[in-house]
Amino acid sequence: MSTPQLSRVRVTRIAEEAVERARLRVVPATRVRAPKVPFVMLVSAILLAGVVGLLLFNTTMQQNSFAAADLQTHADELRSQEQALQAEIDELNDPQRIGEAANRLGMVMPVCPRFLYTATNKVTEACDEPPAKLPIDPPAAARPDSLVPHRTVVKVDAPTKGADTPVKGAAKAGRVGSHGASSTN
Amino acid sequence: MNSRSVSPFRLKFGFLVIAIVLSFYGARLVQLQAIDPGSYAEMAHQEGLEEIELPASRGAIVDREGVELASSMDGLMVIADPALTVARAPELGRFLADKLGIDYFATLDKLRKTTGEGSHYQILARRIPATKVRKVLAEAADEGFQGLTTERDPIRSYPLDDVAANIIGFIGQDDDKGPLAGLERTFNKQLAGTDGIARYQAVKGRQIPLSDATVTPPRDGKTLQLTIDRDAQWFTQRTLAQVVRNWKATSGVAIVMDSHTGDLLAYADYPTFDANDPQATSKDYYGSKGAQEPYEPGSVEKALTLSAVIDSGHAEPETRLTVPETITRDGWPIGDHGRKGTAKLTLAGVLAHSSNIGTTMAAETMKADQLRDYLTAFGLGQRTNVGLRGESPGIVPATPWQAIQQATISFGQGISSTPLQMAAAVNAIANGGVRVSPSLIEGSATTEDGVEVGTAHATATRVISEETAQKMSRMMETVLDPVEGTAPQAHIPGYRVAGKTGTAQVPNPNGGGYLDGVNNNSFVGFAPAENPRFTVYVAVMGVHGGAGGLTAAPAFKRIMSYMLRHYGVPPTDAKATPYATTWGGPGTGNLAP
Repeated sequence: MSTPQLSRVRVTRIAEEAVERARLRVVPATRVRAPKVPFVMLVSAILLAGVVGLLLFNTTMQQNSFAAADLQTHADELRSQEQALQAEIDELNDPQRIGEAANRLGMVMPVCPRFLYTATNKVTEACDEPPAKLPIDPPAAARPDSLVPHRTVVKVDAPTKGADTPVKGAAKAGRVGSHGASSTN
Repeated sequence: MNSRSVSPFRLKFGFLVIAIVLSFYGARLVQLQAIDPGSYAEMAHQEGLEEIELPASRGAIVDREGVELASSMDGLMVIADPALTVARAPELGRFLADKLGIDYFATLDKLRKTTGEGSHYQILARRIPATKVRKVLAEAADEGFQGLTTERDPIRSYPLDDVAANIIGFIGQDDDKGPLAGLERTFNKQLAGTDGIARYQAVKGRQIPLSDATVTPPRDGKTLQLTIDRDAQWFTQRTLAQVVRNWKATSGVAIVMDSHTGDLLAYADYPTFDANDPQATSKDYYGSKGAQEPYEPGSVEKALTLSAVIDSGHAEPETRLTVPETITRDGWPIGDHGRKGTAKLTLAGVLAHSSNIGTTMAAETMKADQLRDYLTAFGLGQRTNVGLRGESPGIVPATPWQAIQQATISFGQGISSTPLQMAAAVNAIANGGVRVSPSLIEGSATTEDGVEVGTAHATATRVISEETAQKMSRMMETVLDPVEGTAPQAHIPGYRVAGKTGTAQVPNPNGGGYLDGVNNNSFVGFAPAENPRFTVYVAVMGVHGGAGGLTAAPAFKRIMSYMLRHYGVPPTDAKATPYATTWGGPGTGNLAP
């Protein structure tokens, strides 16, 4: 039979062993260092790609901007060209020009209209007046004297014998000029 | 060992200086961020901001087929910087004079103007087509010339020069003043459109990508379409010019109208001007005299008076009149041109012989108010509102009329109307008694005074019955009768043509009465009479001698023939069935008093 004193000693021993077993101990450091180089390389590569990408994007945008401006200029030029050609067509279609051409060819205009009936081969009644040239003389402009533009006239001496080679441009300089770009005197 | 010690004074001084400098920075920071930061942000934004006007293209004026009578074109002005051009001025002057057609001497002066105002900015040429300028400047650059630049300078061109110039008008050289005459001015709001604007950040004129940009696009002007036919207009103008010159008249008007719709197919004034060079002509000729200047229409009016007499039931075409050599009203004698003795004429004969006395007698069967109502219903005394500037309403004197007044008004003196009014009035007879208001604008357009005009607003009003119109049309055919009529020269073989001559005295501008030996001659008519397509009015003003049948009628014939041919109206080969113009037997006739 055990005495109470002996029991207490046993319990104490068991408790100490349990405490000993349960105590945390520092694990020896096993330090693992992740490699830095790939990470830096990755970040650098991303940064570089970003910067280069941005640069390329910006450059492309600039190039597109220049291309757009050039194309706009080209479009403007083509529009002007189209307008000039249209003006030329209008001029060619001008009834005055056609009338003058017809007159030069000796064409005349009947005073009265005549019709040919193809079914009966009959021609309608002739006019009592002979055909006449088109009345195409342009109307004389009633220009007030005050609006007659000033003309600069330079008299050029007749070339003397021996002066076979006139100064370049002299003939042009001596012509009669008119004021204003749109002036048609 | 020698330890370096810092003087406390120097240390304090240094701190003080740094504090002062930092306080300046601080103050500036407060100024920028706390006091009015918005304006600074705006200033930063404005730096490099480009603002470009986007010009609206001016609408064209086109004829009824869409042919441009007034068109807009890109143009440029050529500018020189004399500081850069003076070195090679003669050579450059020759080059530009040859290429741009400008005056060599004037250009040379500008290229050498290195002192005073404009020493860096000389305009050498204006309103040159952009294509031409670009080509010339490229050649100039190849030649090594420097100091030439360009600026936008739009061109308004009129491809047909003087054709329809009196209608269309023109735009002057001074951009600030805008259009100066004609439809260009009346419908400027519609034609001009609204300029747009573009704002963006730019470097050296090029837009910075992705930068803020605000663009208000321009609204181009709208096209104005006329009822005018270009070819008919050209022919009418040339024919009118020829007759005015041949007869040494002062001016002339010719109007061609579609009888059913009232569309003006041609409207010619002479003298006229070149819309591309209006300064070459006196500005007295810029307007549309056919609508602006009323005149006493003379015998043409008789067609209206006698229509009123028939329509009101006071007479018939074959009503018999005994027409004395002269009659007197209020002490004034009235006679007939070239007729002696008493004549027995029917009402048709009165019109065919253009008898003033016969017309007076017929008109006197009506009350003045009644006759005046008819004349105003024909459109006299009121504007036609076709859209031409400064249109005159003419004058139909208010009643009561004196006897002499009623007499003269009945044959077209003492009353004034414009050729356009008279063309529309006679066209009512051609159109079966319904007056259609004349139109010059296709569709609808609003004038600068806010009046809506155009074919969309044309009105049709019955003036006389269809029966009366047919009777009057037959009566007017006798005017072209080779024996009885006053205008056989207007006859067109194969067609039935109805018309009336007018030979009116010209009021003396220096006082009362009329000028001796000077007449305003006119002829108005329509064809084919059985189904009229066109009404043509020709007036030749200030003719020494002559008569409507001699001067205006041949021009009418040419213009009407052209219209019939141009629009392919086949001849009807029908003969006119004229009324008797004279009568015989006893009695004084049956005109009811």
